[in-house]
Amino acid sequence: MATATAIPEVFTRKASGLVRVMSPYSAFVYNILTMGLIFPWTYLWAPGALPGGKLVWGILLAMLIEIPIAFAYVWLSTALPRSGGDYVFESRVFGGGTAFTVVMSGYVIWILQWVALSGWLLSYLGFAPLFLGLGATMGNATLSAIGLWFTGSTGIIITSILNALIALVILCSGFKNYVRFQWVMWYVVLVAFGVMFAVLFFTPPAQFVERLNAFAAASGGGANFYQTAVDAVAAAGIDLNPPFSLIATLLVAPIAWTSLQWATYSAQQNGEIKDARSFKNQSIIIVGSLIVTGILLALLAAGLERLAGAQFLYVAGAGYWSLIPEATINGFYLWPNIIAVAVTASPIVVLLIGLGYVLNSHQIVHNCYIGMTRVMVAMSLDRLLPEWVSKVNERYHTPVNAHVAYFLASIPVILAYNLVPGWVGLTLGVTFACGYVFIITCLAGALLPYRAKDVYEASPGSKYTVNGLVALVFTLLGVAAFIMTAWVLAQQAFASAFLIWVVRLGAIAAVVAFLYPMRNHLATWLRGDKAPWLSALGMIGGGFGMAMVVAFLLAPSLGVLGNWNFADFPKGLWAQIIAFGIIVLSLVWYLLVKNQQKTRGINVDFAFKEIPPE
Amino acid sequence: MPLIGKKDSGKATRLFFATDVHGSERTYRKFLNAGKFYDAGVLVMGGDIIGKVAVPIIQEGAGRYRATLQGTTESIESEEALKGLMERLGMLGFYAKIMSEEEFRSLSADPAAVDALFHTLARQRLEAWIELAESRLAGTGIKCYVTGGNDDYPDVLEAIKASGAQSFIDCEGVVVPVDDLHAMISVGNSTPTPWKTPREVTDVELGRIIDGMIAKVTDMRNCVFNFHDPPKDSTLDTCPELDWNTDPPAPIVKAGQLVMHGAGSQSVRKAIETHQPLLGLHGHIHESAAAARIGRTLCVNPGSEYGEGRLRGVLVNLSDGKVDGYQMTSG
Repeated sequence: MATATAIPEVFTRKASGLVRVMSPYSAFVYNILTMGLIFPWTYLWAPGALPGGKLVWGILLAMLIEIPIAFAYVWLSTALPRSGGDYVFESRVFGGGTAFTVVMSGYVIWILQWVALSGWLLSYLGFAPLFLGLGATMGNATLSAIGLWFTGSTGIIITSILNALIALVILCSGFKNYVRFQWVMWYVVLVAFGVMFAVLFFTPPAQFVERLNAFAAASGGGANFYQTAVDAVAAAGIDLNPPFSLIATLLVAPIAWTSLQWATYSAQQNGEIKDARSFKNQSIIIVGSLIVTGILLALLAAGLERLAGAQFLYVAGAGYWSLIPEATINGFYLWPNIIAVAVTASPIVVLLIGLGYVLNSHQIVHNCYIGMTRVMVAMSLDRLLPEWVSKVNERYHTPVNAHVAYFLASIPVILAYNLVPGWVGLTLGVTFACGYVFIITCLAGALLPYRAKDVYEASPGSKYTVNGLVALVFTLLGVAAFIMTAWVLAQQAFASAFLIWVVRLGAIAAVVAFLYPMRNHLATWLRGDKAPWLSALGMIGGGFGMAMVVAFLLAPSLGVLGNWNFADFPKGLWAQIIAFGIIVLSLVWYLLVKNQQKTRGINVDFAFKEIPPE
Repeated sequence: MPLIGKKDSGKATRLFFATDVHGSERTYRKFLNAGKFYDAGVLVMGGDIIGKVAVPIIQEGAGRYRATLQGTTESIESEEALKGLMERLGMLGFYAKIMSEEEFRSLSADPAAVDALFHTLARQRLEAWIELAESRLAGTGIKCYVTGGNDDYPDVLEAIKASGAQSFIDCEGVVVPVDDLHAMISVGNSTPTPWKTPREVTDVELGRIIDGMIAKVTDMRNCVFNFHDPPKDSTLDTCPELDWNTDPPAPIVKAGQLVMHGAGSQSVRKAIETHQPLLGLHGHIHESAAAARIGRTLCVNPGSEYGEGRLRGVLVNLSDGKVDGYQMTSG
């Protein structure tokens, strides 16, 4: 006889069942590490490309825009707490074809670039500053030379492949080994950031120039580096004291979003998170990690500005964005950690900051493997990828085949990243690609209460409703953000009036196509009936998120995807061809596999279609 | 639309397997509709049918109730809200009983009475399910085989046998035909778990039960093993290792991390390795949905998400001596 026990006002009996392995706190840490406190672009790219933009405000704005998106993921995660995250959410609302095409293109293929990036960060932002800093503080030229080796393509390629290989071995040996290692990474990163903040906030600004010059000289740069750099940048016609620009500040947000958009990545592991149906837990994991990271990134910007001054941030940005060699130390950009390392005279501080960057860089490749192999296993079980992909190793209980396949696929990308001119420019194409995955999921959240009503109503978040008028206002704000962004940026991207109007009318048509099936619900919202909070947040988050995705596609200041050069076709549009080609390739893959499975008596749609219960 | 290429030649059969629905009304109703939806001629329910939670709906006054659901106490102010709550509870696989404050207090103080309540509610739901199956499947030609799992009370499972149902067939302990070519044997017991569930036996005893069933099989090449317990270390049985000395059982943590292990049965694995049936259908470990081959045998655990009302299952296309194809579903 099974014994029964009473817990407050519920009777349970002892029965076997699901046990989840990842604590909510581990998932919270995982998200923070995934957002990557080390991603440095905001601090050089924004001042370089967006004069007059306020870094701190841009970062905080990105955080605010991400909050409704993050909450949409909270609702979705509590409604469908399964591993596979975006793929599961999108397939339930939009169907398998859309989910596969979006997630395969935006995640599985594009994140290979992130594997290469992880190696680059490890080499260029981890080991190089570590050895350069140790060389400078200890007066050791050999250490400085080692540091410089890590900035060359050979050093980066070797580091990148070893980086990916080590992650492969750790993850194949068992997920528990990764989680154990994650704690080491977490605490070292925390210490590194604590030290870096202390350096940035407590070093007297008056000593900045002197210390930077000393570091530059010790690292092979010229004497009087600071003034040389300032003069060179000013001579290049760059305004070092630009007036405040609202537009530039707004455009800092998509750059900061390159980090903050990853707040939702734990959703890939929902099936392994304890109490994943708990609204409170998911809020802390997703929204909490977003706010903590957003504040830390903003503090980092404030610290940099305090120590180096706003003017020098434009100098550092010009070294990166305008490729002014005098504004680099021996060709090395002035990333935040380099500045922190430069102003300290302590090898221990250099070591602590360096180790933090080394481990956070390495952690990124783990994220790539963990998230993508789970998606690949889910796709394989749905018969959209080969059966061997989902085979789990009997000894280690890990999808070894998927890990090895992803590692092998990353090798050519690592080589291309470091050897093919211009390829590195595609790095932030990942932000565009993953951005559309996140936003389509967010929009799936907006529709979940209507397209998967029963699943939604059984979820703990279904009790949260809002006046329909509020939901309608949120919807209008989201629509306005999306259409306004497309409207304004279309003329920055294209000279042809025809193309400008194609983009503008296309944006309007997309909104109409998305909202038309919702017209009856929108009418009830207009009457002030209750609306699900999830729908309201999904609408505003989706709209603002789409605005950022569109910005990546149309704003020249946000990278290669925004540069539409038809004059030198196809060379001038290779980035766009790759970005859209990957989407087409994924769709074609889906259609071919679907057809091929059909000949074997398998209807892949059955993997996603809900059986009517009545 | 014919979904199996060889079906037109009359040689292939489509089987749909789901398991561990744990009292979920919605999941069960989907299961009954799966035959028509997937064009499957045979449905197999792999065990653990009975729910785990009973929610007292405590009457506070005329038309006013309170109930605790997922850690939150909800106030119910109307009969319509009460109906909605009952539906949600059913979808989650929970049982519900309306009672007074005094009844609730009395029950809370008497574990034996709570246990008896579970038996009663589980039997009522199972009987209702059998009736529903009979009405939905009658005349469709779809066969529906059901076995219990380790979590199911034996006396409650008796309801299946006692019902005399034509479409909802207890398949445990007997060889049943899947079609003219294929046969299936079923064992719902499991090896011991930390929860000490109703139908546990030692692995040796489980091996004896399995051997007894295998002795009745005439054509192993076309036989399906429907064993609730998955084969040991097959990837269909991966879950955290638990400490049996705590209540409730707690995951074992070493060096700050949970220890994962294969919780399946060595006897089930040995039987599959030795006899090499065509197909192994398994459940028990909800979080370990996977398919694996042990020799020629395709073994599948579709996992379970009954609490979300999602019916996880697997479609298998069987022809003479081989599995033409299979597909995990999430319906």
